[in-house]
Amino acid sequence: MLELSRLSKRYGEVQALDECSFRVERGRMLGFLGPNGAGKTTAMRSVFNLVRLDRGSVSWRGRPVGQEERLRFGYMPEQRGLYPKMRIGRQLAYLGRIHGMASSDAETAAGRLLEELGLSDRIKDPLEKLSHGNQQRVQLAAALIHDPELLVLDEPFSGLDPFGVETMTDLLRARAASGTAVVFSSHQLDMVEDLCQDVAIINRGRVALAGEVRQLKMDSPYWVIELETRSRAPERLGRFESVVSVDFDGYRYRIVAKKGVDLSELMSRLDLGGDVRHFTFSAPSLSELFREAVTR
Amino acid sequence: MSSWQAIRLVMAREIRERSRSGAFITSVVITLLLVAAVLFLPLIFADDDVRYELGVVGEGNQAIVDAALALANHEGREQNTLIEVIAYPSLNAAERAADTEKVDGVLVDGEELVVRGAGGDAGSDLERLLQSGARSVQIQGLVAEGQGEVVGILTSAPLGVRPLSGPDPAENAERSVVAFGGLFLLYMAVLLYGSLILTGVTEEKTNRVVEVLLAAFEPWQLLAGKIIGIGILGLGQFVGTVLVALVGVELTGAFDLPQFPFDSVVVLVLWFILGYSLFAVVFGAAGALVSRAEDAQGVVAPISLVAVAGFFIAIQAVNNPTSTLSVVTTFIPPVAPFVVPVRFAFQAVPLWQLAVSAGLTVLTIMVMIRLAGRVYLGGLLRFGSKVGIREAFRSAEL
Repeated sequence: MLELSRLSKRYGEVQALDECSFRVERGRMLGFLGPNGAGKTTAMRSVFNLVRLDRGSVSWRGRPVGQEERLRFGYMPEQRGLYPKMRIGRQLAYLGRIHGMASSDAETAAGRLLEELGLSDRIKDPLEKLSHGNQQRVQLAAALIHDPELLVLDEPFSGLDPFGVETMTDLLRARAASGTAVVFSSHQLDMVEDLCQDVAIINRGRVALAGEVRQLKMDSPYWVIELETRSRAPERLGRFESVVSVDFDGYRYRIVAKKGVDLSELMSRLDLGGDVRHFTFSAPSLSELFREAVTR
Repeated sequence: MSSWQAIRLVMAREIRERSRSGAFITSVVITLLLVAAVLFLPLIFADDDVRYELGVVGEGNQAIVDAALALANHEGREQNTLIEVIAYPSLNAAERAADTEKVDGVLVDGEELVVRGAGGDAGSDLERLLQSGARSVQIQGLVAEGQGEVVGILTSAPLGVRPLSGPDPAENAERSVVAFGGLFLLYMAVLLYGSLILTGVTEEKTNRVVEVLLAAFEPWQLLAGKIIGIGILGLGQFVGTVLVALVGVELTGAFDLPQFPFDSVVVLVLWFILGYSLFAVVFGAAGALVSRAEDAQGVVAPISLVAVAGFFIAIQAVNNPTSTLSVVTTFIPPVAPFVVPVRFAFQAVPLWQLAVSAGLTVLTIMVMIRLAGRVYLGGLLRFGSKVGIREAFRSAEL
């Protein structure tokens, strides 16, 4: 388990991290969310000692993280980059070796990973000869080569096409299932909701919301009601105590309401005359939790 | 993983990847071609014989020409001198021939040499040659002895020279060849490979691979590995070129190589390695400050200037090996590697001075590596612009 505990870091005027704490469990994926400039990259870098923290500590399985621990972590930085002129097979093997693998193990692992990513015929090509998407795949492989116990990925999905996203999610799922702790930052909230058991939402260096996604949803004081209708009458709702927001796009309502909302009264107010094609009643999405957390 | 393992991995990668790169192979080939050209072209274009055309009028000329040739071609001379003698019936005809450059000069009755105007193209060489020939003939007449004897006397140094004290002048000359040669080689190596190291260190930042690497390494380990790797490669290329040049010199006989005094060579090699390493580290640290190759030039200049200063201080140390400047600079690491071998060649430097100087240089190298690592981490997370040293230090916040 990775534990970030009360991390603080100030860059001049900017408080990048302010008592930021959360934990990442083994075998689970944590989505690390926050608006731009919230401190996500700084927090991730601090795991690898790339940031000298003002206060706070990072520990792995209860022990402070040092160089030995970091060799068992995999990192995909926001600033992507590998050696453009180095052959990808050799490059991955090198990255394996710098994480303490024996030469032959590193080469075997590089071959296996490239095969998994469908790049085994390119093993002798320099990175720069690969397409952008394939370079991204190699970048991911670089973080995975030494079969790390913890994966820290800074916006791993940015710049990927749908196929790339699929490869990435498959790999991450497989790794988490085999016991790796995974944390990644992203702005694609739907994908995070789909992939992650846990989230941490950070705003201005502070954790605004953290925990298991399912639990956070259940704990939310709101419900979301979605219904489809041909009857165009959003204004009929008028002022309604328990309703927080109403979206109507012409045929679909999306209503966020407080938990105690009186559904029958809501429906009678809308007066749809039975013209309802679809009705769902659910916990808010991660997007709604996110918006709520960072605007609070 | 130990620091040494980490450094070795980085170093091995540098050497392996760089030595396969097209740029490196091209530079090796071009350097070797240049060395070969410098050594062999003079041989191809060299005219082995010096040839003159000489007009003669009257009698008594042939003896002078023969004597001149005997002197010019005495044993041990590399060039062969030929004089083609063309006899003319009258002085007028001979002078016309000289005027129209058919001959280089006219020898008249063994007493007068006619040349085209002052500094005419008979040149002073022919004149000197014939003068000594004539002198030889005169002496021969006086002593009435064999010609070979006279040539022997005229081409030898009859007085033995014995210096009052000090080392053998021949050995001194050899020592100064070693000192100057070493000085020049170090200077060349620093200027040639310094910026290679600098841009090499910047490479990871340009590629942005640095964050992945620093997640596993300490910055100083990465830097040390890079500097040692590129340093060894540059040094290897340099030493290889010098060896090829030496072998070439030996084969073509373009120069005579002196016998090198052993102790001078040992001191030279030691200080070459120290000096090269120190400058490599300084260039590496400078590379840690810049993140783009375009910014590199601005930091190369001040470092090169230190090397230039070291070079000139060492030159003055040739004449003043015990001057205050020479002694003080023995203990200033970036300059010491230039000064110490020169001082050593021309005057015995006390052993303690050698030891302290070497110790200080090694210490500086180690401190610079750590310092550079610190600056590197500080500068790392600010891609784009050049990072000031103070700013880099502050953001490193150790």
